[in-house]
Amino acid sequence: MNILMSSGMKTRELVVSGLKVTLAEAGRGAPLVYLHGFADIHAASVGALPFHEQLARSARVIAPAHPGCAGSEEDEGIESIDDVAFRYIEIIDALGLARFDLAGSCVGGWIAAELAVRHPERVKRLVLIGASGLFLEGKPTGDLFMEIQPLNGSSYAGLRELMFARADTPEALALLPDGRSALEVEMSRYKAMRFCSRVGFSPPYFYNRKLRARLARYQGPALLLWGESDRMVPLAHAHAYEAGLRGAKLVVVPGAGHSPHLERTAQTLAAVKKFLGAGAAARSKTAARNKPAAPAQRVVKKASAKAIPAKPKRAAAKPATGKSRLGRPR
Amino acid sequence: MAYPYLPPDFDEKYDSGWVTVPNSLWDRNRTRGLYQEYLDQLVYGEELGFDGLVLNEHHQNIYGLMPSPNLLIAALTQRTSRAKLVVLGNLLPLHLNPLRIAEEYAMIDSMSDGRLIAGFAVGGGPEAFNYDVPQPQARTRYWEAIDLIRRAWTEDGPFSHEGRHYPLRYVNPWPKPQQTPHPPIWIPGALSLETMDEVARRGYDYFLSSRSHGAGTRKAALRFAEIIRSHGGRFHPFRMGILLSVYVSETDEKAKEEAEEGIWYFLRNCLKGHLRREGRTLTFGPGVPSTSPRSWEQYLKNSDPNGKMLGDSMDWDELEAWGSITIGSPKTVRDKLWSLIEQAGVGNLMIQFHFGNMRPELARKSMRLFATEVAPALRRDSAELFGRDYPELEAVPAGAQS
Repeated sequence: MNILMSSGMKTRELVVSGLKVTLAEAGRGAPLVYLHGFADIHAASVGALPFHEQLARSARVIAPAHPGCAGSEEDEGIESIDDVAFRYIEIIDALGLARFDLAGSCVGGWIAAELAVRHPERVKRLVLIGASGLFLEGKPTGDLFMEIQPLNGSSYAGLRELMFARADTPEALALLPDGRSALEVEMSRYKAMRFCSRVGFSPPYFYNRKLRARLARYQGPALLLWGESDRMVPLAHAHAYEAGLRGAKLVVVPGAGHSPHLERTAQTLAAVKKFLGAGAAARSKTAARNKPAAPAQRVVKKASAKAIPAKPKRAAAKPATGKSRLGRPR
Repeated sequence: MAYPYLPPDFDEKYDSGWVTVPNSLWDRNRTRGLYQEYLDQLVYGEELGFDGLVLNEHHQNIYGLMPSPNLLIAALTQRTSRAKLVVLGNLLPLHLNPLRIAEEYAMIDSMSDGRLIAGFAVGGGPEAFNYDVPQPQARTRYWEAIDLIRRAWTEDGPFSHEGRHYPLRYVNPWPKPQQTPHPPIWIPGALSLETMDEVARRGYDYFLSSRSHGAGTRKAALRFAEIIRSHGGRFHPFRMGILLSVYVSETDEKAKEEAEEGIWYFLRNCLKGHLRREGRTLTFGPGVPSTSPRSWEQYLKNSDPNGKMLGDSMDWDELEAWGSITIGSPKTVRDKLWSLIEQAGVGNLMIQFHFGNMRPELARKSMRLFATEVAPALRRDSAELFGRDYPELEAVPAGAQS
């Protein structure tokens, strides 16, 4: 099954520090940077899912694809989560976002947490969905790398069990069916695994052992959303995040696994929207506050207000300029 | 060098012979003398006149009980005197520091009076899981390690290495290898053009690790030859080798009868997790994404998602179609191998003679028949063929043993 990006979400590309990054973007209002995991947009699925569409009704959702994923260029320099955090703050600078809401699921949640502890003054509110990143003795994250090697050449039941509450739920079967999927979907997963392999295949795996002690650096509001039977990142990790983040509120989603936003979309959305306090008044206030801080950011921000539609396929890559191509004078 | 004592219901009960195969199956009561037997078979290979003895490196599996080929090669330096000793190869990205490999190989070269052929391999999917080697970076580590080792062998130390993965302030190995400028370097590959290019650029020899042969083998040889020429080098058949499996007996019928148990044990158990659709194959896939997205896309476009692999063969006919394991009388084996050599124009044959739980005396008999009734004709005919196509070649040996 193919879940294609619906018309509500547009993709565009920019070049940051010489490397192309692809973003899915939709909605108006306060900017919400969404960092994907393995099960959602840019990875297991090639397009936006209902969760992202709905989220864009009350925020300006900006969902970049991780380096090497979807249309984002692979970065040979990435060897650890530190490299990813630096890459993302460059991208966020290029987008001209001085302060922003930040959400992420799975490995995207880990990246979000790393950004929040490094740049607490810029992250307004933080949403972590089944985020990896913490090391808890005796509570390892699931082995995504092993389970994505299908059993008997076709069965992804083990992978579905890691990503969802059960292997046989409709949403699990729709997103990760058995057998070989369409080329585009297979490639999307392969690229996501190249990225995951860079940050989580070898020790320290999907953990940063220093992150737990650093969580206190972020004191803003945080929402932790966890499926009650998450087998990829066990619920104990949610409690550890809760203990480390002063402003955290944990919502455990019954009946969900690692992907509550895909398994219990309405419930998860309601929790996120309540947390973000969606509303026209709040949005305009936020927009007024969201002034660029540095001149370099101002340049790019002016241009980035204008979304550029995705380039046609096979178009020649723009030469690397070292800054956003949207930032060029025209 | 398989683990030969698996229970008969292994295939029904277990998903893989690699990485996750429980080592509670290791039976201490039966394994006494096992390494000795395998060592003796290799020594017998030299007695029979094989040109070289080949070992590889694998970890945590039942296919090849060879986590450290250097240990066995070290033993062979003391029990053989003529055959080349080939390690194909040490899995560089798995090891902490390439300097250790440079040192061990130099020791082996000295201990064997200059008989080492130094192979370096990157490791496949199972090895990635065994030693937690991140696959997108494995190749850059690998080539940095090889270049460092060659430099350590050829350049006087101490010098410092400022590499990205293996920086070292003092590179100064004692001993140096006996052969000059260094032992021959063999690199296995599975048809990737990038690997062929790296090998050709450095003037090393290429070993096709593919287990099945047909038109692709010839194509690989032609490609490699072309790449060597593009780097200004000269191709000849001994720049390249292929991996074969052979069982020879007095007649075709007898060969099948004798080899049957060992070969199906090998296909069903040892290849499970490696080259079998049944179970969980770890050799390649998104979990071990070693190839570039572009190469993976080519693979997806050109492969049958429901296709079988070598280990899924259901009968002798299906097995034969792979061109992987040649079984029969001396004449049958001679004819089949000759047509492969003639077509591919490859000079080094690396041959597996022992399969799974095959009784040692059968493997020895097959080796003997091969050495006496197959190899002489292949040597003679290939010398003539290669001499015609590559007049600059002197008489060169062919044939090695795994």
